Amino acid sequence: MSPVNRTIVKVTKTLVATAVASALLSACATAPVQPDGASRARLKLTELQSDPNLATRAPAATKEADAAVRIAEQPEVDKDLAAYRVYMADRKVEIARAQAETRFAEDQRVQLTAEREKARLDSRTREADAAKGQVAAARAEGAEQKVAAEQARGEADAANAAAASSGQQAAELQRQIDALQAKPSDRGLVVTLGDVLFMTGRADLQAGAVGSLSRLVTFLNKYPDRTVAIEGYTDSVGNEYFNQRLSERRADSVKSYLAAQGIGAIRLAASGKGESDPVAPNDSASGRQQNRRVEVIISNPPAAAR
Amino acid sequence: MNATSKTYRHSQLGTALGLASVLVLGACASAPPPTASLQAARQAISDADRAEAGRYASAELGEARTKLTSADSAVVEKNMTTAERLANESRAEAELASAKTANVKAGAVNDEMKRGTSTLVEEMQRNSGENR
Repeated sequence: MSPVNRTIVKVTKTLVATAVASALLSACATAPVQPDGASRARLKLTELQSDPNLATRAPAATKEADAAVRIAEQPEVDKDLAAYRVYMADRKVEIARAQAETRFAEDQRVQLTAEREKARLDSRTREADAAKGQVAAARAEGAEQKVAAEQARGEADAANAAAASSGQQAAELQRQIDALQAKPSDRGLVVTLGDVLFMTGRADLQAGAVGSLSRLVTFLNKYPDRTVAIEGYTDSVGNEYFNQRLSERRADSVKSYLAAQGIGAIRLAASGKGESDPVAPNDSASGRQQNRRVEVIISNPPAAAR
Repeated sequence: MNATSKTYRHSQLGTALGLASVLVLGACASAPPPTASLQAARQAISDADRAEAGRYASAELGEARTKLTSADSAVVEKNMTTAERLANESRAEAELASAKTANVKAGAVNDEMKRGTSTLVEEMQRNSGENR
């Protein structure tokens, strides 16, 4: 036998041995199967990923769901562990779907706002056209109708002027924002309500708070498409847990007040931030006073949020 | 057999006993409680609660609370693996409650906007009807 031939024989033997061994092994071990329910989670995830309205709207949550589904699909002898993984995968997919749907709804507001503006403009145009029609009719009817025609023309001009005035709405908005003393930020308009709203350690609103809050109510009534996040903050004096609870209750108080003034609760979200995120150092009385505050963040209108 | 080898044997026996007891203890005493997971679940439930999930996703919020109670019981029974999984499930359920709540609220805001627009359109049609 030549050395080359010998090598070939050796390789062949090894291959045969490997094939036999793997055949034996796979005969013994039961074929790997996916845990129950994993395929259902996969199906739900695929539905989400193939929906053009939702696929890219919650990327982080969808990625997390995808990872959880992969883990759930691994064959697992431990039934409890397999069931746990499937449960987690299912919920992660549901969370991703809910987040994507929420984002989709928010994105649709641009379109909804445009539709409303169009309806508003249409109605003004019609008013103007109707007035013009009256002018023409009056002219045809003769000179004794001239006074009426002039009057109708006046109405037409007024209606046209009303249509033009939508350009002035931006200026009006700026006046409202100035009245609120709101500061624009990435998250929206931030209105800071100082600690004069509350007694030390208490969460119920003081009588003097009504003035600053009524301006907020006026603004929210005028701009019904804006939602509001109310965040309570405290200084660093005292127990951290107590401060957290206090900031939550103060934010809730402001929310309740706004709701009582007729602002839809659906537009209001309150949360407590405790001592986190101070706006001034806590080592002086004035710094602490600045830190005891409630911030009201008014969302930017959908069109401007693009 | 001399005294030295006897002592040596004794010390071997001692080592073996020591090892055995460590193994036995190790099997009995479980891992520490999954504090971080339990805390995360509690926080997620509290967040969902504050987002009014009790009103818009009460089934999920209730399930999250039940899972957290079970996780706490598992800690008492020293079943830390189960406790950790239940805590994670509770947190996922609470996060789902929050996500669903946000979804319902976002839909409600849109519905309100649509209602506003259709009111405008209706008014317009009524007005142009009167003009005719």
